[in-house]
Parts: sequence; C-alpha cells; structure tokens
Amino acid sequence: MGETSMMALDTIFSFISWLCMTAGYYMILKKCGARPVYCLVPFVREYEISKCADREKEGRTFAVLSVISGIFWIGFKLSPEGSYVAVVFEVAEVAAYLALILYQVRIYNGLCQIFNRRRRWLWAWFFCEPLTCLIWGFNSDFKPSRKLGAKDKNEGVLVSEGGAAALDDGLTVNIEKRTVIDFFRKKDLLKDIHMSIPEGHMVLLLGGSGAGKTTFVNAVTGYEKADATILLRNNDLYEDYKKMKYDVGFVPQLDLMRGYDTVIRTLSDAAALRLPASTTVHDRRKRVHEVLEEFGLAAVSNSMVEKLSGGQRKRLSIAMEFISDPSLFILDEPDSGLDGVVARGLFEKLRAIADSGKIVVVITHTPDRVIDLFDDVIVLAKDSSRTGRLAYYGPVKDAYTYFGKDSMEEILLTINQKEEGGEGRADDFVAKYAGLITESEKKAG
Amino acid sequence: MEENRIKHRGRVPQVFICLGKLFRMFIFQNDWKVLPMSAVIAGLVSFVVGANLFKTQEGTLIGTFALACICIWNGFFNSIQVICRERPIVKREHRSGMHISSYIMAHMIYQAFLCLCQTVITIFICQLTGVTFPAESLITSDPILDIGITLFLTTYCADIMALMISAIVHTTTTAMTVMPFMLIFQLVFSGGFFQLEGFTVKITNFTVAKWGLTALCSQGNYNARPMVTLWNAISKLQNMEMDGERPVLEFMRYAQDSGLKDQILIWSGMQNQNPVYAFDPLNVLKCWGFLILFILLYAAVAVIFLEFIDKDKR
Repeated sequence: MGETSMMALDTIFSFISWLCMTAGYYMILKKCGARPVYCLVPFVREYEISKCADREKEGRTFAVLSVISGIFWIGFKLSPEGSYVAVVFEVAEVAAYLALILYQVRIYNGLCQIFNRRRRWLWAWFFCEPLTCLIWGFNSDFKPSRKLGAKDKNEGVLVSEGGAAALDDGLTVNIEKRTVIDFFRKKDLLKDIHMSIPEGHMVLLLGGSGAGKTTFVNAVTGYEKADATILLRNNDLYEDYKKMKYDVGFVPQLDLMRGYDTVIRTLSDAAALRLPASTTVHDRRKRVHEVLEEFGLAAVSNSMVEKLSGGQRKRLSIAMEFISDPSLFILDEPDSGLDGVVARGLFEKLRAIADSGKIVVVITHTPDRVIDLFDDVIVLAKDSSRTGRLAYYGPVKDAYTYFGKDSMEEILLTINQKEEGGEGRADDFVAKYAGLITESEKKAG
Repeated sequence: MEENRIKHRGRVPQVFICLGKLFRMFIFQNDWKVLPMSAVIAGLVSFVVGANLFKTQEGTLIGTFALACICIWNGFFNSIQVICRERPIVKREHRSGMHISSYIMAHMIYQAFLCLCQTVITIFICQLTGVTFPAESLITSDPILDIGITLFLTTYCADIMALMISAIVHTTTTAMTVMPFMLIFQLVFSGGFFQLEGFTVKITNFTVAKWGLTALCSQGNYNARPMVTLWNAISKLQNMEMDGERPVLEFMRYAQDSGLKDQILIWSGMQNQNPVYAFDPLNVLKCWGFLILFILLYAAVAVIFLEFIDKDKR
C-alpha cells in the first residue's frame, strides 16, 4: 500500500474517531444536564465533561493546558526542522502532554464515580476513547448519579426589598451582591444582606462551611469590596478605605505572628504600623504597655511569641488589632484550639471590649458555651444557588423562636445542606427572613 | 471626618519597622547560620580549585566558575524561603497597612547585609587557603576590592532572584522545588564553562552566572594567563618510544631546561584568548551594570507579585 493511501486511510480513521467522540460527548453532556452543543467546541468540550465529572477545577487546568499544548505544537510545526527552537517547543509540548494525561486520569476517574462505574473503565477511556464515548453516551444503562443543575441555573430564593437604615453610632451593612468572575463565569458569593449593628453590641456570626462568613467579613471590612454600602458611624468605609481601615480590627483565625520575636516588640511594631504617625514615641510606648496590661500579657512581655501558651498567643493576636482602638472588631474563630475555660475568659474579654462602646463580631463554631455573652446573631446560609444569604439577624433569644430550636448548633444543622449532614432548610429560612424584612419595610411605609 | 485626615506611617518609616524585625530574626531565628555555612563552602571550593586560580587559564576558568557558583548558592539559600514561609503574616500586615514596597526594600537591605558578610567571609577564606589574587586592578585601586564587588553583586543578584521566587510561590515546598531548576539553569547557561551554540548563547545573557563569571575572568586577566592543557597533553606522551628513543621526553627536558616551556605555555594561552574576558574596565563595568539591572528587575517583579497577596486563599 502506498504512502498516499496510508495517509488517506489515516485521515478517514481520524475523522471517524472524531465523529464517534463528538456524538458520544453530545449524549454524555445531554445526560449530565449540560449544553450538548459544547461537544463541538474544542477545549470547552473537555471543560464541560470535567464539570459532568464533578472535577471542574481539574477541567479548567486541562483546558488551559490543552491550549498551551496546542500553541507549542503550532510553534514546533512552524520552526525550522532540527533547530533549537523546534527542540524547545517539542520538549515543552511533551511536558504539557504529560501533565494533560494526569489531568485526564482525574477527569475520567470522576466520570467513573459520577456514572457509578468501575475504575477499570479508565483503560477503555484511554485506549479506545471514541468507542467508550459512544457506549457511555448512547447506552441508557450509563446514567450520571447527579446532574448539573440547580447551582448553575437557579437564581436563588426570594430577595428582600429595601435596605437597612443608617445608624449614627454603629455599623450599617447593605450588601446587594458580592460577585466574582470564576473562569469566565459570574458567581454570586453573597446576596441581599442588610443589617444595622449598634455600638456596644457583641454579635455572633454563624454559618456552615461555604456559607460566606469570611466573604461577608471581608466585604464588611472593605478588604474585598462588594456591591455594597458599608457605613461605620455614618462614614462610608469603601469611599475612604485607606484611612478607615485603621478603625476596623480583624483578628484572623490563625495566630499570624512571628514566633521568634518578643511579645513587646511584636506589639510595638503593630503599634508603629497602626497608630497615627503623629503619635509620639512616649505615647506609643504608653499605649503598648496599657494594652499589655489589659490583655494580661505584661508578665510575658519579654518572652518569645513561640513560647506563649495558646490562650496568650490568641490574646496577643487580638491585642495587635486592639492597639489602634478600632470601633469595629471582627474575630475569626478566636477560640479555635482553646479549652472551655480559656475560651470563656477570652470571650468575657471581648464582651468587655463591646461594653466599652465597640462593635464586636465573632465567628465561632462552638457558640453555645458562650452564647450568653452575645447580644445578636447573624445567621448566614448557603441557598440552593450556593450563594451566601442572610437567614436571620437579630437578638439571640429571638433566634431560638425563629428557627424553632434550642441551641445555636441545632440552628446550624437546620440550615446546613443535606450533603453536609444538615436538614437542608436554608432556602426556607432565607425566604422567611427576606419576607419578614419586606413586610416590616412595607409597614414602615 | 476629622478622624479620616489622620496620617499613618509612610513607606520609608515602614522600611525601618520591617528591617528591625528582620535583624531580630537574624539573631533569634538562626538566620545567622548562613554566614558560617558560606565559610565552609568557600573553604571547600578554594581547597579544591584555589591552587591554580588566577594562575593559569584553565585554573582561572574553573576557579572563577566555582566562585560564581558559591555566590549563586549563597544568594539562593539566603532568601529562597524568607517570604513564602511567612506569607500569611505578610498578608495580615498588608491588611493592617504595611506597604509591600517597604517590606521588599527592608528585605533588600537586610539581604545586602548578609551578602556583604558572605563576600567578606569568602575572600577571607580564599586568602587563608592561599589563593593568589591578581595584582592589578581595573576599577578601584585594590584588586581584591574589585573582585569583592563582583562577588557581592553576583551573590546579591542571585539573592534577589531567590527573593523574587519566594514572593511568587506560596509555599516553602514549591520554593525548594523550583530552586534546583534555577540553580541548574544558572550553571549550565553560565556561558563560560559549558560549550553552547546558536540561540542558547543568547540565553546566557539572562543568567547571573554569565555576568559574574565574565567579570571575574576579566579581573583575573584570563587572556594573559598561560594555558597548560597543551603541555599536559604532551607530557602524557613522554614515554612513547621511537627507534629505541623517547623524543617527546627529550623535547620536554630541553624545553624545561631552556625556558621554552614557559614560552609554549604563554603562546598556547595567546591562541586561546577570549575577547569576552578582556582585561578592560569597561568590560567589568558592563557586567556590574547587568547585575544591578537584574537586581532592580527582580525586586520590581517581587513587589508586583506580592501586591496580589490579598488574593491568596485561606
């Protein structure tokens, strides 16, 4: 058989393979609830299949790597044969191809899981992809255990009308939306969150995993701006963030301090960064010593941070933010890793800070042991569109009645998704709360 | 809004705040260990290649390549982990108002101090192990100072490159994975030690090793040094017999007795001259210029990448 005939046969074979794969992918995408027409678009097809396989992250990398690999291939073809450039392109293409294989394994593995098939199908996908595509696409026994649906199409539940009225002495949060562009797609992280927190209140921020607690905190502090208006003592935090950020203290979950530095130096550096430039050295030192006394760290002021106990380290982390005397104080799980007694002591300290006229917002996963110290609770929940929504904001006592539960942990279980072991009633309470707000707005005229 | 007019510390005072932290780390976090480590490395290298350094062309090329390697090794190890190991802390401090440019500038000053100490140590150890430094200088009045500046700039340039990598990557594991590749790249594409052809020669222009090595060879007056490879090759044939005689051995004896050997070595060196290593102040200044340019470039890239630290996921 001549070389021309071989080439013709090869082309025909390639075309038939492509046809089989496209037809198979069309049916698989259809079964998974994706848009089947994407089977015709190179790179996008692989990304959509990865979404079907619940391996979206891998699919993105795969699609990007495919594009890069394609560029290397074109570069190789256009370079003079045997040249260094051609060699570089070829080596790069091989490297990209190896990475592609790895990602392909992950995606096919995900497909096997979603379609409840054994892993041995991976071999079929690798060595006979066109036929495997046809089988999985056209055989009605091959059904995905879950479809792409709610999270891509659902707009979420009812949205309340209007916003929270501004407080002269407090924090006013009116978040319309917090959106991110994720791989060319718009994704709502938070929606429709309105509240006013008066000064002197200590507020619990409750929510399950992925409910948007950190996103909410970042939006409120102005660290990651949302489509929102955040007023602190009637000053717009977003408009003058560079200056107002010193009026907001955020204590991260982890004790992010250098272990090989003394307590007093750590606090002095924090003071130098956070206090106004006009503060004299004397005043700064005075403030540092005041805060050391206030947080019970005076005795260990010359100790290395790494030598401190968990409770002391947490207090130092809080003191670093407290040094600038902020009006709004937000703490992300300050009690993580602390035993009950130490945690109680810490929350009592936070209560004292709130009583001095500050707003204290605390995220914690063990709220019931210290719930008596809180005034209000914010309950954030992930609705059916997987957007963080406000399910409740108000006094702690009313929250029990509103949710019909006896503890905060039970409330959390109610709003958590079923796959997280919860009751999956987030949408009900989001809608209920949005309805309540709309009703009260109407009553208020 | 009176409160909003309050000014906080600007970039320059923040540099000193960060610098204070870094020097405390130097003492308390055992960062000082890089100094004795550099002494050990310098000792080892000068023990192996120091004998012929700045004496013959081969010894100069191998020795200066080894010196450039010491510099790159020291520079890389000084800073490859310094930013990525405390990335969450930097993020927190940035959130509290710390400027990234101040943070990087503080690191640059601190790393300059480390590199300077390492350069002094390296030269001291080389002298201690009997390395003969060139007698003539090109830029300053002291040839050792000239070489010291080159060693410092090479170390510092590698250091800031590693700082840049440390600012780009998110974990120490990634940094330590990337480092060997960067090291190999620097050594292979140094442009002097390994024979390269075609466009790969152009790649050498982007390495710290090339400019460090070129400057050191120029300062060591590579082109005026004798070449011993030819004589060594001849000496391997000294026992070859022809008609019961050993003509090569006889020639070697004659050359040694008459002083012809030195002429052969010098003549052979003249045939092996490399214009890139010309004993010319402009040549050295050009190398220093490139190293300084790279330092500034790497520092700028580090600042740009670290400005996006807020995007780090938890």
